[in-house]
Amino acid sequence: MSSTSQKHKHFVAEPMGEKCVTTLPGIGAAHGKRLEEKGFGKAYDVLGQFLVLKRDEKLCRDWLKDICGANVKQQGKAYACLKEWCDASL
Amino acid sequence: MSLFVEDPAYLSKSRLKSDLVAHNVALPPTKSKKEVYVDLHLKHIAHNNAAEFSSDEEDQEEDVADKEEDAEIPDPSCLTDDDLKAALLEHGVKAGPIVASTRALYENKLRRLLQSEGHGCLNGVEKGVLYSDSEEENGEKEDEESGSERAKEETVEQSDQAQQRSSQFPSGSQPVMSSGGSLISSQAFSITQMVKEVESRRSLTTSTDSERELNGSNVQEHWSRSTRLDKPIVDKYTINNQSLYYTPKESPCIRDMKLSQEPVEDMLQEMFPNTEATPTGICATRRRPIKGAAGRPFQYAYPDTPASPTTLERREVERRLVPFQIQILVFVIVACLLYLIYVCVEDYSFSPFVALLDSLDQGSDSEEGPLLQAETQDTPALSGQE
Repeated sequence: MSSTSQKHKHFVAEPMGEKCVTTLPGIGAAHGKRLEEKGFGKAYDVLGQFLVLKRDEKLCRDWLKDICGANVKQQGKAYACLKEWCDASL
Repeated sequence: MSLFVEDPAYLSKSRLKSDLVAHNVALPPTKSKKEVYVDLHLKHIAHNNAAEFSSDEEDQEEDVADKEEDAEIPDPSCLTDDDLKAALLEHGVKAGPIVASTRALYENKLRRLLQSEGHGCLNGVEKGVLYSDSEEENGEKEDEESGSERAKEETVEQSDQAQQRSSQFPSGSQPVMSSGGSLISSQAFSITQMVKEVESRRSLTTSTDSERELNGSNVQEHWSRSTRLDKPIVDKYTINNQSLYYTPKESPCIRDMKLSQEPVEDMLQEMFPNTEATPTGICATRRRPIKGAAGRPFQYAYPDTPASPTTLERREVERRLVPFQIQILVFVIVACLLYLIYVCVEDYSFSPFVALLDSLDQGSDSEEGPLLQAETQDTPALSGQE
């Protein structure tokens, strides 16, 4: 799967700043709302969790699934995006 | 210390501890209840007694597994953060900081690891397929299994299974070989069936290759059945090949295709004499990959409209040029203006129309002559006029 979505490209291209969590690919309005309820309203909150989990793919995917019910595809998109962002900007 | 009938529940906690140490059983954390010690005691010391009489490796392996499992206490939620981290480390998982948000995840992970150890290799394989870090499960499994299935990752397991299948395979084919080889050979492949219909029973000449062709046709069986000409041969064939029917289709079909090419090639070469001989007999040209599709990068980008470079250049040039009609119009206007100016200047009069009429008659003759003079006269004339 070499193609990335627009959302992905937009996210990775620049510092995430105060972007909302719904700007993450794979996270839409519904998932975004759930994440916000759990306290992960901003993209940097999810980034924080991602980093605390040592950027481990399996753990991050599990966490996403537990917290907002993302399916495998959505988990994959979000994980890939955050990973690339970290590779580029961290 | 082989005290048989003594019930561990009646022993004191410290006594249980010492027993466990004596049997080289890892102690559970100090805060655990007596029941845990009792369980451990029962399991291991009872196991040891059993092991004295039997030489099952499995029991001893189970000991190891149970020991490890019990040592962790299958209740990760009771562990402290540090204990949880230590437990995960024992399983080869380098856990990150165990914080409020991460704790649940790590607990689940530990539970899964414990369960996978308890259930044995199958579940471990399944979970290994699902999750990326399945390495930690392998180190503990190696001792348990005899090695053919679970020595390494699933890929090796699959290759082993394939080898087992292939080893079963020739043994299955041998009994069939002995009975009616020539009959089977003639109906082995759909390609030969096609040739047969065209050239009526020439496939019988492939009987020399029957041995190899026998490998075939669990798949080809039903093709050949449908197109077979002789019914009694069908029956024999189906009976003979029953033993092959349940062997897996993968390797036979592959060997099929490769080996079947030799007898078939003769037929095909007769039909198509111009084709070159290839090792597998399959002539296929690689389809050109679709550039730009499925994310494949363009080697060099093609323009949308197939225009030649010359037409493109001409279009470019034409775009910059002013259209032709407008050019003519402008020229005419400029020419008139110039002429008017000339006339005005020359005659010093501001009613040039009369002068124009006159000059039109004379202008054609004298225009070119005085034009040169007019240029030299213009400047003094203009200066004189002003």
